[in-house]
Amino acid sequence: MAIAVPYLGHGIGLRTQHFPRLWEGTARVDWFEAITENFMIPGGRPLAALEKARAAAPLVLHGVSLSLGSTDPVNTAYLEELHALIQRFEPAWVSDHLCWGSVGGHYAHDLLPLPYSEEAITVAVENIRTVQDTLGRQILIENVSSYLTYTHSTMPEWEFIAEIAQQADCGILLDVNNIYVSAFNHQFDPVAYIHHIPPARVGQIHLAGHSDKGTYLFDTHDGPVIDPVWDLYRLAVRHCGRVSTLVEWDDQIPEFEVVRAEAERARELEAEELERSYARSA
Amino acid sequence: MLALRDLQSRFFDSLARQPGAGPASFDPTFIECVESRGPLAASERIDIYAQMYFARLLDVLQGDFSRVAHLLGCDRFHTLAADYLAQHPSTHPSLRHLGQGFPAFLRERADIADLPFLSDLAELEWARLTVFDAPDSVPLRIEHLQSIAPEQWPTLRLQTIPAFHVTRHAWPVHELWQAAEDEAREESAPQPAPTVLRVWREGVSVYHARIDTPELVAFERILAGEPFAVVCAALESVLSAEEAAATIGSLLLRWIEDGILAQLPE
Repeated sequence: MAIAVPYLGHGIGLRTQHFPRLWEGTARVDWFEAITENFMIPGGRPLAALEKARAAAPLVLHGVSLSLGSTDPVNTAYLEELHALIQRFEPAWVSDHLCWGSVGGHYAHDLLPLPYSEEAITVAVENIRTVQDTLGRQILIENVSSYLTYTHSTMPEWEFIAEIAQQADCGILLDVNNIYVSAFNHQFDPVAYIHHIPPARVGQIHLAGHSDKGTYLFDTHDGPVIDPVWDLYRLAVRHCGRVSTLVEWDDQIPEFEVVRAEAERARELEAEELERSYARSA
Repeated sequence: MLALRDLQSRFFDSLARQPGAGPASFDPTFIECVESRGPLAASERIDIYAQMYFARLLDVLQGDFSRVAHLLGCDRFHTLAADYLAQHPSTHPSLRHLGQGFPAFLRERADIADLPFLSDLAELEWARLTVFDAPDSVPLRIEHLQSIAPEQWPTLRLQTIPAFHVTRHAWPVHELWQAAEDEAREESAPQPAPTVLRVWREGVSVYHARIDTPELVAFERILAGEPFAVVCAALESVLSAEEAAATIGSLLLRWIEDGILAQLPE
């Protein structure tokens, strides 16, 4: 089975700092990814901006609070709001993270890592099925950056996410920067990670910058993509083929053109890799 | 080996029980579940998440209550926010609701007695946030009002837009709100003064303004769903009949100009 999402090209995350460009009509990009929770509101400026973005380019909704790995039941009120947002803005697809962020009804507002265990697979698969059944569509799940691992994990992360995607029949949002960050923090091989991801499940790729804290890498999304991450992106393109790609920039956000230039670089590298692949296969 | 639910509860407690307190507040059983790998021990790895948790939520509270934070200064706001978050962990998937209980929390704090107006100011900041993303609506236009037949006026039920609130304070919070923004301004010690504000959104911009007794009386009747005749009668209870007639006319024009009356149902 595969994930059925369209190819949208190379987009950027929709951020408040660039809202004026939407009003000016100069925010030109292949597609936008909006953080779902920022628009789960009754009205006002953010929703007006989202209307503008949706009119300007295809839109994807990317959530941070579904808490797919939580032992709490999926929040039905949240799902209803998400469903209403989907019906209003008709995103090309919907994604969230393979992690947990709530327990006992309390929210950490963070993407907390799961142990890579059979129990966590069962919980995540059940929650993803609930979400997909309610929304009536497949979702994409994203690998997160992590700073800790658990003593009772029984498999590598790539096996964990691939197994969940297969059992839940969902797609994967492959965050190449997150693979790089976690590989450094937990000393695994990022190349092996990408090679073990089932290409047909990958519906989107994320790229972003991060910070080097000396003893660990921190997923800050506050700068340009670094060369080793671009190299991993090339590998992901060779492995998965043509996949919609998005640049995230969430802190110290520069001018719209700077973020779009990163998306354009991704477009160039993708073209190069696909051309090489065609040349090899010809 | 901990079951997943126990693991998640202990992880969350390590972050949220004493925000910003560091590794001493982490659950010892949870620390044993985390691998110490490379240069970082298990507790240092948990601390990365603990610091992120507090920094993110502190940032949200600072953004939502920027004037309260400014008046308190960094250290005092930090302490208050940590205590608030320990008592009020987030119960909503969106951070939008995190500060809902903050004004009431400030009201109970004895250690900010030197700033007795702080809770009132926080209420204004929260009211502004509430109207910022309140439901959209079409405001009533003057042409619509002019098209209403004279015999329909007594039973006419005006409605405010959803992005509208009336807030009541014991302090002149509109002045404190402005003073907190204007650092160069000479500040005298504020004095308590019963103050009623209307807070509203026009387009995508949020405003607030002090209202006087006649305007408050009129709003109370409108918000109660009373017909226009009752609104006028209420005004006549605080003004002479002549003053009341003039006042309701000017109020209507001002409300239309500010976009705070909702389009009338067909």
